[in-house]
Amino acid sequence: MDKKEITQKELGLERYYQERDWFNFLCQMLAQDPSETSQLSKEITEITVARYDEIIRCAEEGKPFIMGYFCAAPEIYEAMDLPWYMIMATPFLAASAPYLLEDIDAAERMGLGTDWCTACRLTLYYIEAGLTPKPNALIALIHPCDAATMLHQGVYRNKRWRDVPIFAMDPPYFEDQRGIDYYARELKRMVAFLEKHTGRKLDIDRLREICQESNKQYELWLEYAQLRRAVPCPHGWAVGGPQCFAITQVFQAGRPRGTAWMRKLVDHTERMVKEKKGPVAKERIRYFWFDLLPFGWVFEFLPWLEEEWGAVMVMDMFGYTPYTLIDTRNEDTMLKGIAKRNLYESPMVRQARGIADYFASDITRVVKDYKIDCVIWPGHMGHKDGSASTGIMREVCRDLGVPYIHIGLDLFDKRYTTPEQCKDKISQFFTAMGLG
Amino acid sequence: MESSERKLTGVTIKEAASKGENKAEAKVKREAKAKSKPLQEFQEATQTLANPALQDWKKQGGKVIGCYCSYVPEEVITAAGFVPFRMRGTGSTSTELADACLSSINCSFSRHSLDMGLRGEYSFLDGVVWVNSCDHVRRIYDHWKRKIVTPYLHFLSLPKKTTDVQVGWYRDEITTFKESLEKHFGTPITEERLWEAIRLHNETRRLQRQLYELRKRKSPPITGAETLAVMVAGSAMPREHYNQLLKKLLDELGRAYGHANYRARLMLIGGILDDPAYIEVIESQGGLVVTDSLCYGSRIMWKDVNEKASDAITALARYYIAERPHCPRMFDRQLDRSAFVMDMIRQFKVDGVISERLMFCDNWTGEAFMVGEDLKEKGIPYIRLDREYILTGVGQLRTRIQAFLETMER
Amino acid sequence: MIVGGCDVGSATGKAVIMKDSTIASYTIIPSTTKPEVTARVAMDEAIKRAGLSSLEDLQYIVGTGYGRLKVPFANENISEITCHARGAYWLLPTVRTVLDIGGQDCKAISLDDKGKVTDFVLNDKCAAGTGRFFEAMARVLDCGLEGLSSLSLQSKSPATITSQCSVFAESEVVTLVNEGVNLIDITAGLHNAVASRLNSMLRRIGIVEDVALSGGCAKNEGLVKALEEKLGVSVKRLPEDPQIVGAIGAALIAKERLSKQS
Repeated sequence: MDKKEITQKELGLERYYQERDWFNFLCQMLAQDPSETSQLSKEITEITVARYDEIIRCAEEGKPFIMGYFCAAPEIYEAMDLPWYMIMATPFLAASAPYLLEDIDAAERMGLGTDWCTACRLTLYYIEAGLTPKPNALIALIHPCDAATMLHQGVYRNKRWRDVPIFAMDPPYFEDQRGIDYYARELKRMVAFLEKHTGRKLDIDRLREICQESNKQYELWLEYAQLRRAVPCPHGWAVGGPQCFAITQVFQAGRPRGTAWMRKLVDHTERMVKEKKGPVAKERIRYFWFDLLPFGWVFEFLPWLEEEWGAVMVMDMFGYTPYTLIDTRNEDTMLKGIAKRNLYESPMVRQARGIADYFASDITRVVKDYKIDCVIWPGHMGHKDGSASTGIMREVCRDLGVPYIHIGLDLFDKRYTTPEQCKDKISQFFTAMGLG
Repeated sequence: MESSERKLTGVTIKEAASKGENKAEAKVKREAKAKSKPLQEFQEATQTLANPALQDWKKQGGKVIGCYCSYVPEEVITAAGFVPFRMRGTGSTSTELADACLSSINCSFSRHSLDMGLRGEYSFLDGVVWVNSCDHVRRIYDHWKRKIVTPYLHFLSLPKKTTDVQVGWYRDEITTFKESLEKHFGTPITEERLWEAIRLHNETRRLQRQLYELRKRKSPPITGAETLAVMVAGSAMPREHYNQLLKKLLDELGRAYGHANYRARLMLIGGILDDPAYIEVIESQGGLVVTDSLCYGSRIMWKDVNEKASDAITALARYYIAERPHCPRMFDRQLDRSAFVMDMIRQFKVDGVISERLMFCDNWTGEAFMVGEDLKEKGIPYIRLDREYILTGVGQLRTRIQAFLETMER
Repeated sequence: MIVGGCDVGSATGKAVIMKDSTIASYTIIPSTTKPEVTARVAMDEAIKRAGLSSLEDLQYIVGTGYGRLKVPFANENISEITCHARGAYWLLPTVRTVLDIGGQDCKAISLDDKGKVTDFVLNDKCAAGTGRFFEAMARVLDCGLEGLSSLSLQSKSPATITSQCSVFAESEVVTLVNEGVNLIDITAGLHNAVASRLNSMLRRIGIVEDVALSGGCAKNEGLVKALEEKLGVSVKRLPEDPQIVGAIGAALIAKERLSKQS
């Protein structure tokens, strides 16, 4: 191994380099397609690459950077000018990488078990295997699920990571002002923690700028979400929802480039709606995919749904926009606004953190607003509380007169329920329900 | 006072293991049953939901409040004049009704327990209380409140960290709980009654620790299976009655000879194990379970609520959140938990550790792995078991335990 | 010293008699519904073959296997994990990983260089990848167990069989037959599917060479080949019938116990 490779290994950057190169390659492919959607996707890919570059540079040059979460106040990281990343990013972004299944098997060999969330398991594996760079500080997520709490305990136990300062916000279970206030106080502690361990300071005016920019992004997202109500839906699984989430909560929270991207998306979508264009020639089924996309095997399933059944993912969990704007008057209102967003509005956290009511009410909202023909609860093997809510979701759908299917799969490991098996199940479901 | 060949049960555990299980195990069971009245009553209490003492209580007009998880502050329930009852799924034979609510990737405890609720087996309860203990059990609440008519339901928001801030949060939660009990049932819960309850529950804990102390001996007079029965019974009957019975048992055990010929001293760690039969199978191979870290074991009684604190609810909050040995759902205490296990190993002279977890339990998968790393480092023999809530696969369990003991060369 | 080891499995009963350090005789018989009967019949036959007159000629007997608790004439019983490890190590002292594929379960065992068991994993929850599975498939394809093995060795492009469960695998196989897929490729596909499952199990304890197979299915050359490809290591053949490895281990332990007593 040459010196550069050794450094990569020591710093835990191997996978990051691989992923960065993969996304670069993707960029180049997308650059060749002049269509607007490809150009939008290309820009997101460039933004992703830029994030990898930033973290790699920080790790290599010894500059401060942190690990955080989309629902643990990225607005604050941005306001503190702290390059940040998610330790859980690799399983998601690298899910189509050739080494994914090997990594899953390696995690099992390590004794990490097999029936808890693959994403969390892989994340812990990457840390144990030295495939994640060590940050200056780590914001741990201990909600919405048990697996997240377990993962982060594994992180601070790891011998190599024991010297990484770690902080987690404690989540209240119910949704009320008291919970928001409590979490806002936790956020304040998080700020103090970050200031202590990174040397950066939180400037309230800068936070205001970020929040205001972020608010603009959410307003645009809401506009975009309204446009998706159109029949036919202007976009399917490949454009929009998860991308908007990535921009507003992961890569460009409160950054103008993100806002500009959202603007371009909205403009383009308005045109699509005017021209009554969508991802398929004839839209036959409008479905609500109530989870993350199956990153590990998305290309083997979702395009098929469009081609075979004219089934369009009109809405998904991460594209759903129940966000309220942050009141930017002062530090207190901003922290409370961020707390509210983190606890009750960030996707998945919103539904899974507390009681099961959002599983029911979100379905009701989406079915009505988006003229949904059927609701799919993918049933990722890691969502124990979500799958525990299946009875409630089924009943809500029955009351709404909308067919409901609970598949039972692993978003990352296609061997759990193979794409073929999923196709069979869905086909039987569509046929039995007289859809398409 | 140490051992000789005569034991509580009339045949050595080693004999039972090597001769073939049927004859010896049956004899063990018979003798155990014939032996001790308190022990018998405790064992019977683990085989049903409402034991005779609890039924008597109800007949006299007493109230019973179900609790999911040991983090529910039982003292508040006692202070209200009610009996706290830990929710189980004992005797459940199917999960058909629960399967329509939960899914096949939810743990069998949650499915059996909810199923029993849906079948009306829990109609003797006057209320049920939850905390967000884990992803499976917290969802029982969501289905229970929609489908099962129960006079009173309550849910406390349990923190996932254990600092003073969280003690303060839980203090408020407990206060809200107390007030809601008062409001619903019209029973005042005064500071005085809370302290009485704390003292009563602390007495239970002291007595239970005395029981465990006996197991530190070279020849413990009580098996792990019997101990679990004692502990589970403590969660299922009126507390004064239980304390009296336990005192009687301790008295008897003080005069009994111990189990001498066991192959190894074992520690069992895990979650919601409430079936002594599981430990019986483990012990049938000749090892003796001498201590544990279980939801119905040491964790719920190793420490007392501080009786010298200035206010009862803060004392309770501090006890449950910060002072009691922790459970894996508490984020910031893993190193303490491993240290607790190591300390138990030292105190009880443990030869090998067994961890058990229910299928699909994330909390205990993580903990079994993490504690396992520490055990491995110290060279302590360790085996990880998966189980279902209702005991099955006895032969398979036996094989694993036997092989484990053999690898320990015992 | 004359000792005996009796391995009462779900599908077959095995008995081994050792005189000092050599195998005097062994038997493999199909299991009856009563383990005590299986044990008796197997042991009686082995006694006859060893030129002995009765059970009393054996100084110590160890029982193992699924029915080990029901071997009435055994002095003690030992888990099949320990017995398979002991037997395999005696037959091949360089073995460090033993994969036992039995009638109804399979197990992977790690040994150290002294033959001591360091780790093990059992798959006794389902029959996929065990003797029962192969019997069922041989029935469906109407080719016999021998045929199942020999056909698979001829394949150049094995069919892909994805089902984890043997019941579903059966319907997958029927579908393939109806689609006209060559029997050679179907059987190879089956062996690959089983090899995958065994590979997963093995990986949980780590594959350290030398790797050896025990149990009835170890005689299936088609499976051995599929496994070697999947594992990426060569499987060492044991010098005795792999089906009696457990009983050999039991006999060796009997010998040890006897030595300690005297």
